[in-house]
Parts: sequence; C-alpha cells; structure tokens
Amino acid sequence: MSTTGNPRPTRRGKRLAGSAAGIAAVALTLAACGGGDSGIGGGGDDAPAAAEECPCEIRFSWWGSDSRHESTQQIIEAFEAENPDITVVPDFTDWDGYWDKLATSVAAGDTPDVITQEERYISDYSTKNVLADLGTLDIDTSKVDDGVLAGGQIEGTQYGIPTGINAYALVADPELFADAGVDVPDDTTWTWEDYVTTANAVAKGAGDGVWGTQDYGFNEAGLNVMARQRGETLFTADGELGVSEETVADFFQVSLDLVEGGGQPDAARTVEYQAAGPEGGLLGTNKGAMGVWWTNQLGALSDSSGHELELLRLPGESEGERTGMYYKPAMFYSVSADTEYPESSAKFVDFLLNSEEAAKIMLTDRGLPANTDVREAILGDLSPTDQKVADFMADIEDEIVDNPAVPPHGSAELADIMERINTEVLFERITPEEAATQLIDEINAAIAN
Amino acid sequence: MSVIQELSRGKQAGAVRKKGDGRWALLFLAPWFVGLALITAGPMGASLYLSFTDYDLLSAPEWVGLENYTRMFDDPRFLQSLGVTFTYVFVSVPLQLAAALGLALLLDKGMRGLALYRSVYYLPSLLGGSVAIAILWRQIFGADGLVNQVLALFGIQGQGWVSHPDYALGTLMALNVWTFGAPMVIFLAGLRQIPQMYYEAAAIDGASRWRQFRSITVPLLTPIIFFNLVLQLIEAFQSFTRAFVVSGGNGGPSDSTLLYTLYLYLKGFGSLDMGYASAMAWFLLLIIGGMTVVNFLASKYWVFYDD
Repeated sequence: MSTTGNPRPTRRGKRLAGSAAGIAAVALTLAACGGGDSGIGGGGDDAPAAAEECPCEIRFSWWGSDSRHESTQQIIEAFEAENPDITVVPDFTDWDGYWDKLATSVAAGDTPDVITQEERYISDYSTKNVLADLGTLDIDTSKVDDGVLAGGQIEGTQYGIPTGINAYALVADPELFADAGVDVPDDTTWTWEDYVTTANAVAKGAGDGVWGTQDYGFNEAGLNVMARQRGETLFTADGELGVSEETVADFFQVSLDLVEGGGQPDAARTVEYQAAGPEGGLLGTNKGAMGVWWTNQLGALSDSSGHELELLRLPGESEGERTGMYYKPAMFYSVSADTEYPESSAKFVDFLLNSEEAAKIMLTDRGLPANTDVREAILGDLSPTDQKVADFMADIEDEIVDNPAVPPHGSAELADIMERINTEVLFERITPEEAATQLIDEINAAIAN
Repeated sequence: MSVIQELSRGKQAGAVRKKGDGRWALLFLAPWFVGLALITAGPMGASLYLSFTDYDLLSAPEWVGLENYTRMFDDPRFLQSLGVTFTYVFVSVPLQLAAALGLALLLDKGMRGLALYRSVYYLPSLLGGSVAIAILWRQIFGADGLVNQVLALFGIQGQGWVSHPDYALGTLMALNVWTFGAPMVIFLAGLRQIPQMYYEAAAIDGASRWRQFRSITVPLLTPIIFFNLVLQLIEAFQSFTRAFVVSGGNGGPSDSTLLYTLYLYLKGFGSLDMGYASAMAWFLLLIIGGMTVVNFLASKYWVFYDD
C-alpha cells in the first residue's frame, strides 16, 4: 500500500503472548552479551576498520508491495554486477510486519546492515543508537536539496537519507465535478471555507451516493499543513508539540461542517472508507470528488477510479500568514550502527541514491527521487500519472517555505491517536474543543518518554 | 464420561492405580514436557523478568520493579480494554454455549444426514479464528453490506455496524457466537451418553418434553456444560485475530473493540513498550487463572456427576 499515507495493519493475527515472550527470551540473551558485537579489536572506540574484508555480505531491509520487491531485486542485481565482491541479501515484508520484524531483529542483535526507515520511527531508532551517522560514511549527497536532506537529520546528525519526496495534496476527480455541475476550484487561492462549500456543492449536485470529499482527519499531515499556514507547526525542531488548541479545534470543525453540509459521508461510512485504503476510498470507487492523499498514491487512486485525477494544492495556502505544504521524505536509507561492513553498506546506499541505472528501475516507487539529477534523467520514463506528480512537485517547489523537522521519539503513536480522536469527533462524542485538549495531552504523553 | 469427571474423582482413581503406571505416564507426557520446557517455559520466564523492566526492544531492559503493574491502573486505555474484554467474554460465551446446546438438542434427534449437518455446523469453529472470515465479517456488517441489504428489504435503514463505536463490539461477539461448532460437538457426545431409560420412565410418568429437558437432560449434562464453559471462557479472553482484523488493527472505532490482547500487542509492538506488554500478559494470566479457580469452586454447587 502506501509508503507514507496512513499505513494500517490489516493482516497477520498471531498468538500474542507467545511471540512477545519469544522475543523476550532472545532479548535476554542479547542483554547478556551487551551492546557491541563483532569484537574485532576489542578496544572500546577504535575507528571502523579502514579496509573491509570483502567478498562480504550485507543485508538490506525494506517494506512494500510485490512490485517493489521485484524492482528492488533488479536494483540489487545491478549493484552486484558493478560490485562483484559485495552480496546484498534482501530482507523484505509488507508494511504491517516490517516494524515488528525490525524491532525484533534489532533486539536479537541481528540488525540489517542497510535499513529502510520512515519519519515516524527514525527518531526512536536513532536515539537508541541503532543507526549510524551517515555523515562519517562515504555517500555523495551533493545532488540532494539541502532542505530535503535536513529531513533525515536529528540534532544535526544525518541518520537517514531521503529516498524521494512526496507532498500531501488534494486529489480531485474532474469528471465528478463536471457531473455535479461544479467548477474545479482555483487551488492557488482557495480557502478552507471554499473547500467546505465546494464539497457540499458537489455532493448536492451529484445526487445520491456521491459525496464531495473524503474525511481528512485521520492523518496528522493535514493538521500540520493547517498549523504551518498559521505560523505554527505540529512539532518544533526541538521535538516539542507546536500546535495550538485553537488550530486543532478548527481542524476538526472542518470535518463536522462537511458532515453537516452533506459534503462528506456520515461517520460510520467515513470510518469504513478510511479503512479501505486508496483503492476502496471515495475517489477510488468514484463515490467522491475529492480526497487528501500523498502524491505517491495518485497512481493507485487513478488506477482504481479509472478517471483522470488531478492534484491540487491544499486549501488555505494563500489564506494564512504563509504556505503550509511541504516535501516529505518518502522513506530514508539508513545504515546500522553495528554493521560489520560500513563501507560496503555506504556504497550500496550511494548506488540507491545516485545511480541512474537504479533510478530507472525504481522510478517513483520510493517517492520522486531525492537526487535532482537523477530525477531529471528519469522524467521521460515516467507514466503519465507520475509525470503529473513530478509537474505538481515542481510547481509547488518555490512556494514551500521549509520542510518540517523530524518528528520526535514516540511519534509512531501519532497515527493511532489521530484516528481515535477523529472518530470520536465524527460520532460527536466529543466536541472539536475537547478533541483539541485530548489530542494535545495524548501526543505530549506519547513523546514524553 | 469426561476428563473433568476423572479429575474430580482423582482420589478414587488413585486407589486403583498400579505401581509402575507413573513411569509410563511420564513417557507419554515427555513430548509435551520437552515442548513446554523448550518453547514455552523459557520465554515465559523471560517475559516475567521483562514485566519488571522498562524495555523498548532497541536497548537493554532496565529494572523498574512493579512500576509496569501499578501504571496499568492509571492507564485509561488499559481500563477500557479490560471493560471491552469482560463485556465480550461474559456476553458472547453464554450466548455461544446456548446456541451450541440448542443445535445439539436438535441434531440429537438422530435425523437423516446427521453427519453432514454436524460437519456444516462445526465448520465455523474451524474457520472462525481465521483472517479471511474476519475480513468477510467486515463486509457483511459494513454500511452497504449484506446485513443492511437484507434489512433494506424490510424497509429498515441499517447502521455501519463495524464502523460504529456502539455496535462494533456486537459484531465481534456475533462472530464468537457463530463459532459454536466445537462446544456443540461436545454437547452432542454428552447427550448421547444420557441413558434413554430415564426419558422412557419420565414419559410413562407423563412428564412433558420441557420437564424432561429440565430434570433429566440439564442435570446430567452439567459436567459437559462446565467443561465447555471453562474452555470457551479461556479462549474468549485470548481472542485476538478477530478484533485485530475487524478493527483494522487498532481496536477502533474509538477503542470500542480494543480487546485485551490487542492492546497488549499495540503496546508491545506499536509503542515498543515491551516491559508494559509483558506485565499485561502476566496480568491476563492472573485474570484467567483466577477466573478458572472461581469456576471450579463454584462448580461444586451446580455440576452434577452421575456415578
């Protein structure tokens, strides 16, 4: 499914207590051996060995769909052809299982050498010294925009290199707009109020079973954009919560206004459409004219809807004191702090990031490539949908003020908190003001420890 | 008649035991003991230790004493998960047993094609824990799902059952009731053991069907009811897959399906709070253990063993 959207587990039941206990056992042994393995020199902090013993074998972990597994396999083959003495062992799962598996591998002292990371988790892993400082390794990042590169820095240390970028944008279905007799709004000037009236108008014009828009309140990215438009931010660079109760309340109020005006479905349906992912959501099933998604999801949305979907700026970009949209690193490449082969690992990351050959296989699967030269090089190979994404990203480039800091340790819980509180608001169990207080309390608790 | 009966008559049975039986018993138990020691006991011990630590999987555990256990009772989501679980267990298990007994009574009539019916009704028990059924359940109870389509035929406007916080747990309980096949098969076996002569004698005395059921079937079936009750209660407390899949993995909508084990999983792997999750696992063991003890103690007053 998505790499960045609002990933939710849908599979894999298991005997809980059993597996937790299993990990626990492994963990005990780990605790006994202490932190550093690979006792080459024995001395505490000697520099990494200058020359690595190769042929060597490194493990690369990633999550994703079958198509990503296939293309990544091809990239690995291309890398191995160039570096015959390095073998890359693939280690992949779907999104749901990825973090369970990674956490247990780390606990077992079996951390993959090259790790795919994500915004919500990278702080957790870096503060626990699982990830290497990439600044000390030989990886060429000169072709990556500084603002984007900063997305992988925590307190000035580069723990991850963005694979590519996405933006959180509004996706619109012009066909449904036409059916409803409503014009697609001008996204450079529209306000949040326009968004509500447009959605309500579409729902009215389109008739039964078609709505204006899908609820946006399950994903904190929308809240972040709204906060940034007001000069606030979800998380400050020091890892504090930076959003006011007023903004959070306004954010939830938009949803309620939409439900009331008929622009979005009732609460129970909204929860269902949310759970159905991009393919089963309103846009994907031609039951709604708008939705807020990550740009890399445009392909999946277009495929399942069968319509030519358009990307629009989020509402309110010209309404507040500044623009709120931003480039989000789709994922990060990270290297294990305990890898036996830091040089080979760095070489592989460098290949993933900078090789045109790799990019031509990967295309936009890990976001629009972060390396701008490589991005240029693959433009001609992109599908029309990806082309649209690339154009949109180029359009908003000059409007972006800055990219948000990496969210703090504990932010992995954010998705759950948002989802729970938004549901409460939609079912009108709490008011937007109560939701704001609760959200801020819960996020503060999550990032406190 | 049943394992429980044997257990409860342990003393008498012991008297008949011959010398040397114990060694044979140990031999037969050996495979189980090996499994227990290697696969279960070690990890259990480890999780007991971890339950007294602050452990996030990524760095070494730190001893915190009883903090995880005391923290639970200040955690509103923990209390919510307890409430959800108790509702789930104490509503769905009695209903499930009633359905199982009802069907068993119908099937006990020795009708044609009994084997087929028995298999058909047993199927849900095999499938009920699976992910596929849980996904299907989502569809059936969705806003535009089968249930609402049927309701629409009668002019009733249905709810989005799985997505509404007031009804989502109800659909999970319905799923649990639906898997009545396993207790039903055990009930059927129990019914077969009741001597026919009791019914004949009662019929001669002019006892009605209902009277026969109340005075013959139920009392003689109490050991089986007890056995099923203990088993199903324990199983219900450990339900995980259903809630995980039906709720989309987070116990939603708004924590209404947050079963205990699901919250345990979210704490352990979602928040990487493995110490807390281990403490929760041990607390669940205490709950289930305590409840089973109460069950056995109470059984003295209502379970009747016909010797």
